[in-house]
This record gives sequence, C-alpha cells and structure tokens, in this order.
Amino acid sequence: MLKITHIDVYYGDLQALWDVSLTIGEGEIVTLVGSNGAGKSTLMNTISGLLKIRVGSIEFRGIRLDSLPAHSIVEHGISMVPEGRRIFPQMTVLENLEMGASIHAARKVRQKTLKEIYEVFPILGERAKQRAGTLSGGEQQMLAIGRALMSQPKGLLIDEMSLGLSPLVVQELSRVIQGINKANKLTIFVVEQDVPLALSMAHRGYVIENGRIVDEGDAKSLLCSARIKEAYLGTA
Amino acid sequence: MANGLLVGALYGLVALGFALLMGVMKFLNTAHGTFIILGGYLSYWLLELWGIDPFLSLPLVVMAMFLVGIAFYKLALSPLLKLPNIGMRINTSMLITFGSIWVLDNTMTVLWTPDVRSVMTPYTGQTLKLLGVRFSLTGLGGVGVAVLVALALYFILSGTYFGKHIRAATQDAVAASLCGINVQRTYLFSCGIAIALAGVAGMVVVSSYSISSTAGIGWLSSAFVVMVLAGEGNINAIIPAGMVLGLIESAGLLVVGVSYRQAIALIVFIIVLMIKPQGLFAKKEYGS
Amino acid sequence: MHWKKLSILGVLIAVFLVPPLIWDIGTSVLNLLIMLFIYIILAQSWNLMGGYTGQINLGLAAFFGCGTLVTHFIWKAGLPFYLAMAAGGVAAMVLAVIIGLPTLRLKGMYFGIGTFALAEVCRIVVGGTFHRMLKMPSSYVASYNLISRYYVAFVVATLAVVVVYLVTHSKLGLGMVAVRDDETAAQVTGVNTFKCKVLALFISALLAGLAGGVFAYLRLSFHFIFMMFSPVWTFEPLMAAIIGGAGTLAGPIIGSVFLVILSEVFALKLGEAHLIIFGLLFVLIVMYFPYGLVGSVGRISQRIRGVGRGMSQGK
Repeated sequence: MLKITHIDVYYGDLQALWDVSLTIGEGEIVTLVGSNGAGKSTLMNTISGLLKIRVGSIEFRGIRLDSLPAHSIVEHGISMVPEGRRIFPQMTVLENLEMGASIHAARKVRQKTLKEIYEVFPILGERAKQRAGTLSGGEQQMLAIGRALMSQPKGLLIDEMSLGLSPLVVQELSRVIQGINKANKLTIFVVEQDVPLALSMAHRGYVIENGRIVDEGDAKSLLCSARIKEAYLGTA
Repeated sequence: MANGLLVGALYGLVALGFALLMGVMKFLNTAHGTFIILGGYLSYWLLELWGIDPFLSLPLVVMAMFLVGIAFYKLALSPLLKLPNIGMRINTSMLITFGSIWVLDNTMTVLWTPDVRSVMTPYTGQTLKLLGVRFSLTGLGGVGVAVLVALALYFILSGTYFGKHIRAATQDAVAASLCGINVQRTYLFSCGIAIALAGVAGMVVVSSYSISSTAGIGWLSSAFVVMVLAGEGNINAIIPAGMVLGLIESAGLLVVGVSYRQAIALIVFIIVLMIKPQGLFAKKEYGS
Repeated sequence: MHWKKLSILGVLIAVFLVPPLIWDIGTSVLNLLIMLFIYIILAQSWNLMGGYTGQINLGLAAFFGCGTLVTHFIWKAGLPFYLAMAAGGVAAMVLAVIIGLPTLRLKGMYFGIGTFALAEVCRIVVGGTFHRMLKMPSSYVASYNLISRYYVAFVVATLAVVVVYLVTHSKLGLGMVAVRDDETAAQVTGVNTFKCKVLALFISALLAGLAGGVFAYLRLSFHFIFMMFSPVWTFEPLMAAIIGGAGTLAGPIIGSVFLVILSEVFALKLGEAHLIIFGLLFVLIVMYFPYGLVGSVGRISQRIRGVGRGMSQGK
C-alpha cells in the first residue's frame, strides 16, 4: 500500500536519510525502530509531506505523494499523529477533533466519525468541552490519535507515541491501536524508541541507524535478533 | 469622557485588522494605517462619483479591500513564510510593509493629491442627545459599525469552520496542515479579512474625521497601542482595549491640552510596554 | 592589504577635499554633497545599532533633532561652532540615557516600536514647546560661508566612518555581531550583551547628534524645529543602510549616495513618483537581496573565488 523507494532526504545541505526503501502492506502494523536521531521522525515528516525528498519516490495506493503538500497528502488518505502530540491547546477537545475532519470527504461524515472516536476513547467524550491544553499527557495523546482518525485515513502514521507517557497509559494505547487495526483493517506505521513495545504491537519491523535502513523482518524474529538485543535491549 | 468611548471604539476597529495579521501570521503590517486611508478614499470616491452613502457602500468597500488584501499577501507577504524563524519574519515583514508605505502613500498622493478629504452627507455634523450627552451621528454610526464588525469577527472565528481553521493555523500551523487544512489558503483569506477590516476602519475615519494621503502612520500608531494594550493575539479584547485608550486619552486631554494629544497614547503605550507587555487583558496561557 | 585600503581612502579624501578649494562648484552641488554627508553620518549611526548589533532603532530622529536643537542654542549663545556641535553630540548621548536605556530592556520588535514611540513623544513635546521660529542673529547670516559647511560636513562624515570602522574591528565589534546573530548564545559564551548594546546606542546617538549639529550649522534658522524630530530622519538613513548593505562599512555610504542621487535626479522629473521607486527598490532588496547592494556583491565575489579555488584543487 505504501511504497517508499530509494529516497534521500536533506535538511538544507545536511543529508538525513540515505537510500531508504520500505513497503507497508494493507492492514499491516509496521514499525520502524532506532535510537534518537537515527532518522525516524525525519522519515515520518517526509511521508506526511512536511519534508521533501531529493531522490526516489513515495507511492501510496499507486499514487505518487512525494511532491504534494502536507494537506493534500491527508486528502489522499494518510494521516499522521505527530511527535509531541501537537494538539491545539486553546481549542476544546471537540474543536480539535473537528479540525481533524477538515478534508472534504471527512466533513460529510464528521458526526458519525466523532461518535466512533468517543467509543474508542470515552474520556474524550467526557472532556469534549474542555480546553485541550488542560488535558494530561495520555489524554492529549488519545486526542491526537483521535484527531488523526477523524480524516478517515487509509494509512495512519504514529510518531513516538510513548514519549513522556506512563507505561500503563502506553499499554492501553497500544491495545487500542491494535484493536483499530483489527476492526477497520487500518494500515498503521509506527515509529518508536521503545523497541519491545513497538515490536510487540507490530506485524513487521524495520531498523534504522544513522539515516539508513539496516534490518527488517517479522516483528517476533527481530525481537530475537542479535542486533536488536545488543543495541537496544542491552543483552547479548 | 463619553466621547472618549466613542473614539475608543474607533481605535479598536482600527486595530482589529492589524492585530489579526500579527496574531495569526506574525506579520507586522506597518502599512495598516495606509490601508485604512485607502479604504477611506474608496468610501469617499464612491460618494463623490456615484453618490452612494458611505455606510451603504460599506459592503463594496469590504469586498474591494478583501481583494487588495489577497493581492498584498501574494505579492509582499507570502514569501516571508519561508523564513526560518519568527523573529526574522516579524522584522522582515516590518521592513517590507514599511517599504510598501512609501509605495502606497506616494501612489495615493500622486493619484489623489495630499489634500485633506472628508465626507459630506446630509447627516454630517448632526448630533444626538443621549443620556444628557451630545454625540455626533457619524460618531455613533462609527461605534455601531465597530461593534457589529467585532461581533462578526468573533462569530467567524469561534462559530465557523473557516474561523476555526484560522485559530488552528495560529496555534500550530504544522499540526493544522497535518489535519488537512490548507494553511497557505487560510493565511491568504486571513490577510484579505485583515485588510478588509482596515477598509471598514477607513470608512468610519473618513465619515467621522478626515483622511489625507499621508495620514496613515498616525492610525498605525493607534493600532499598535491598542494591540499592545489588548495583548498580542487577544482579538476579543481589542474593542475593549480601544475604549480604554479612548477614555485615557480624553482624561489626559484635560491635563495636558490639545497640542500634546498624540503624545498621551504614546506614553500610555510606553508605560504598558515597560510594565505589562502581555497587555492589560492578558488571559492565562495553557500549555502550548 | 592595509596599504591598498589606505591609498583608496587617500584618493577619496583628495577627491572630496581639494576641488572646492580650487574651483567654484556651485551652491546646489555643494548643498547636495553636504546633505549626502549628513545622510552618511546618520546611516552609519543607524547601521551601527541595526546592522551590526541587530537592534533596530526606529527613534534615531530624536537624537538627530536633539543635536540640531542643542547646537542651535549653544551656538546662538555665542560659543564657537565646534563646541556647540560637540554639545549637540553630548546632548544626544544624554537623551540616549533617558530614552534609550529603558527601551533596551524590551525584546525583539518591541524595542523598535518603543524607540519609535519615544521619538514621537519627543517630537510632539518639542513641537509644543518651540512653536515659534528659531532664528539666528543677522551677523551669523552675513558671515555665512557654504564652503566651510562643506568641509565641516565632510570631516564629520569621515570621522563617523572611521569611528564605525574602529568599533566594528575591535573586540566590542565582535561582541556586537554576536549579539545580532544570537543573543542567547553570546551571553552564554561570556559576551556582555548589555554593554555591547549600550555602547552601540551611545555611539550611534553621538554620531546622530553630531549630524544634527552639522545640520544646524547648515540651516541656521528653523521654522518648525520639531520637523527635525520627524520619523523621516530615522527612516531614510535606515533605508539607505539596508539598501546599501546592513552590517557593512560601505553599505550606508553607497545607500546614502543612492538615496540622495535618486532624490535629486528623479525628483525633478518624476516628483512624488521617485519615492515610489525608492520604496519598491527597498522592498525588492529586503526580499531578494537581504545583504543589500554591497553585501550581495561581496557574497557573489566570494562564490566566484570559491569556485576558482575548487577548480584549482581538482575537485
């Protein structure tokens, strides 16, 4: 469904990604793991259109995305939950969710989608009239995910879901994500520093180091691979 | 004193478009006063050439100035969005709009001469006695326009989806574009609205006072003071802040006399800048 | 390298110094050149704060007007002119303490609008206090000599350029540029950013005050003295500095030449329209040539030299 082919990405004159290729099939949960600064967020920002590639191509359901602006990419069915949540702090929870349904196709079914989101995240329904800036970290993360889902995406990108959240909240979110994936066949691409979490959620995974993809495979086998164990789990 | 409130409402109206542009896009439009004068000229010529009363021709002025705002955005302001940080954007927009003043002011001077213009209608100069105080009809009309426009703006920003797009883009432009909002287009229309607001202020200025091709800077000054009083980004407090300024000014007039009138607003401005730069009406900021 | 620069300077000085002594240039040309020198002083003054230290001062006119006012009165009181001019410069520095120091506390754009507001207050107060014409006794008018004005203006302008050169090539100058580029980083690396800003302010005020003194010497009498506090005296030097190249030594000079020549040449033919052209030029430069004319030439020649170097190294 999502096909990234040999892309190079630069920040100005500084290269951040080298010859990155990966594919994500329909209905899969795929994760990209790597340490801080390896290029995970760079890749997410590139797919969602905030950064431009210099070489290569990004295709989603057969359509080239790489030259489109960010808001058009949402129209083509990819929605991102950005690093740091980035909810609109002075707007209410409801308004935040409404903003998620800004694209034409989502506007028509806005009310229906809202109801579905409230079912998945009941706390959002409770706090609907509250200012988003007053929510806790975990609630804001739920809001960010809910907002991204409001556009009725075919592919969901999640950038560093676990940052700053307690393990309990993270477990709950992980459960919800897997549930949405099963129920709606939603394709999900997750980027994570928390390697065991990521590989337990996903079907398949990629490993990125210094802007290059260095490993890929089935999530279970990656978890057992020597490289992962040594680099990220602290065991030999 | 009560007339101070009248003048204050105008000050608020004058500041609305300026504060909108600054709050949403962090563009410091020093040419705001010039656009006010341009709007005034439009109202003036619509009356002189086609006999349309300025209050009635207001929708035309709004539409025309909206288009001017869009053109101004495309030509002068949108390249600034590429600058890496906000500080540069504010400084550069200040310089570019400042250059625009030279271009616009002098174009107006060439086209329409520096003569002072004022609108003359059957009701100009008429007064009304309310609660024992004499108010000019045009002044009251101006207050009415200011309040209506402020309410309309409030409704747009909080009640319509487009207005919410503006607020979202203001709070986090990147997140807004990730929601599928076309932030560039939102900015474009916001600029159109801001300049249209200047046009409305111009209409009130030309009917209650007068305009001349070089008078823009004076109104910019007022807009700035009101914006700082209200607190940057606090659009809802603009009209009240304007009224506060109007009251302070009329009180100050009793003390220093007319020749120093302009200095009063400036001194208030400086005092607020030094002591409470977030403005008199600053709200508590939640995490942003 | 030094000899090359000094010899260019020598030639320039000779070009400006000698001709008026030898032949009769004409009052209009002399007036033009005197105004040019005054603009150069003001542009250098603004540039020191704005281009080098990153503090965009929009109230320069107050220092200029102050210098004009004080020089006028002290000279009228009977003191020799150069003392009166020095007094004007000092008065401007005193004014800088009163209105400049408090505003330095303001961050970012608020510094600019704060200085602008204070300068406007000065203008209004002066306008209210001195609303009658300020005249010089007829003895001064009788002994008026345009050529001496020319040399005074030239000397002060040269002085201004030399002062800016010395400051920007000193440790203070490095500190100022550090403040401009990143004030927080400068503070962290031990630069006394407040001292840099204050010194830039004082020197800038001194120069602007001296320019005012020269102007008082030139014009003798003033119908409306408050017009010397008009924002035009801030914004024209500002535009000259930016068009020429903010943060360079030659920029304010080139920009002032541009400004004065354009005004003279075009004003006759186009009237108000010449200001429109100037405004457009300014906008274009800010948008596409942020380093001004001088700066852009510098960067282009750097690029060319860089390419040459690369080629010779066989890259």
